[in-house]
Amino acid sequence: MRYFRLHRIFIAQYLKKLMEYKADFLLGAVGLLFAQAIQLIFIGIIFSQIPDLRGWTYEQILFIYGFSLISKSLDHLFTDNLWMVGYRIIRKGDFDKYLTRPINTLFHVIAENFCVDAFGEMLTCVLLLCVSIPKLNMPFHWYTIPLWIVAAIFATLIYTSLKIITAAIAFWTKSSGHITHMLYMANDFSKYPVSIYNRFVQIVITYILPFAFTAYFPASYFLTGKDPLFCIGGTVVAGSLLFALALFVWNRGLKAYESAGS
Amino acid sequence: MENMIYADDLRKEFKKIIKEPGIKGSVKALFKPHKEIVKAVDGITFSVPKGEILGFIGPNGAGKSTVIKMLTGILTPTSGTCRINGKIPQEDRKNYVREIGVVFGQRTQLWWDLALRETYAVLKEIYQVPDDKYKKRMDFLNEVLELDSFITSPVRTLSLGQRMRADIAASLLHSPKVLFLDEPTIGLDVVVKENIRNAIRRINAEEGTTVILTTHDLSDIELLCERIVMVDKGKKVFDGAISELKRDYGDVRTLNFELVNSPDFKLLDYKRRFNLTDDDISVERDKGTVKVRFDTAAVSVEEIISYTLSTVHVKDLNIKDVEIEEIIKKLYRREVRV
Repeated sequence: MRYFRLHRIFIAQYLKKLMEYKADFLLGAVGLLFAQAIQLIFIGIIFSQIPDLRGWTYEQILFIYGFSLISKSLDHLFTDNLWMVGYRIIRKGDFDKYLTRPINTLFHVIAENFCVDAFGEMLTCVLLLCVSIPKLNMPFHWYTIPLWIVAAIFATLIYTSLKIITAAIAFWTKSSGHITHMLYMANDFSKYPVSIYNRFVQIVITYILPFAFTAYFPASYFLTGKDPLFCIGGTVVAGSLLFALALFVWNRGLKAYESAGS
Repeated sequence: MENMIYADDLRKEFKKIIKEPGIKGSVKALFKPHKEIVKAVDGITFSVPKGEILGFIGPNGAGKSTVIKMLTGILTPTSGTCRINGKIPQEDRKNYVREIGVVFGQRTQLWWDLALRETYAVLKEIYQVPDDKYKKRMDFLNEVLELDSFITSPVRTLSLGQRMRADIAASLLHSPKVLFLDEPTIGLDVVVKENIRNAIRRINAEEGTTVILTTHDLSDIELLCERIVMVDKGKKVFDGAISELKRDYGDVRTLNFELVNSPDFKLLDYKRRFNLTDDDISVERDKGTVKVRFDTAAVSVEEIISYTLSTVHVKDLNIKDVEIEEIIKKLYRREVRV
């Protein structure tokens, strides 16, 4: 409870900071809308050329793409400061500050930033889902909505955990931003049906960097109603395991932290 | 007396990759790293009784900050233990740091883009300070550190002196039992330094806060600390009261004589008169003023004054306060064996 309250306070402070630099905020917002509009147009062009892909229809592909943005944008919105951990905070010794405060370091570092850029992705996400869902004859039960929520939470946890792990590498290497970046490039695979890839890529994005569980598997369950145990259960298991690993790596990292000279 | 801080054989080693110069060296280091272990802190033991202000000094790179960072729980010691107020920082960090305040003079813990009082509002939540206590505390800190004039300004617009006062206030908001100050007066003007020293003295006197202070400004030490611990190359080289330091390593004083006729200067020959060496005395001349700096173990103040007055006409004279600076300089240069 205390952490929820703190999180709210941190976000409020962040928004105040945003208002402090109004011009920057406004220009950023305009730029973001442009970028999202261009992306939408781009998606439209690509998918209108592909009527179906390995048995997936145009609308189904739009749905998977839109679904992939739920977890991606949530992670982006709340945990963007992890990028800075890998790029700057550890290397410069600024991590000292978090270690002298009586709250969890991981929570503190994450809560300190709130990335409003993510609203652009959310907009795209909502648009894609709104366009595709009415045209799809998706099974609907009383438990569909709770399952969506569960899938969204654990899919986000997959993203966040991978980001925590790659950021924490900087405790040993001093800088790991580029590793996080590489990983982020790999998540592009998750936007499309996994069945279009070769065996090797499929194994990697299912069992090693389980991006497939952030979009394709849960989305295909909501589309077809098949295999809930693997599709949703897999997301829960992958998210939980990765998060446990992330906490472990982070805590080991804290012990290896070397600060910087002053 | 009860010890607040206790450090036992603290050691911290860093692995360092030695690179040859240039790109070639960097590439070589990538494939065949030549590792070397640097002992930043090499077995330091000391303790600080409750309510003491301890001066922690040493030349740059001596390991002062590394020790402070281990005591505050930022770094994990390679070996050895430290115990502060009965707690081991690395074991229960979150509970431990509630009881300490930390200021790194070179770094701010304030929220850069926000008005200063916003920082305090957030820290109040982080440290769970109740409303009524918070109000009282802010009034007290306002009074001691004079924050009022800039508390509504964004932190980025503060001057260095204001920022340092604000940082010290931030570290004291939760009424810590121990305060770690790493170079709290670095780069400040005399007035702000004085203000900060007064604040430290007051907090220490009124609340019995134990303080560890690192500094390069020896007047901080002389004005605030009864005791100093000096480190060099990761090892402790002195631990004791300032008076002990003076007794053991010489009490250096400075006398300034202003002569009526400056050429009279040539008449003064302290070395021959008292049979002294260069280590015992140094004489400098600046126009009509003669500055005599000497070790009272070798020659007394009285002897110097009476000899000078009987040899030349003196317009004015003043005695400078005891300087530990000279002793410390000697220690830094390892002229004195400890």
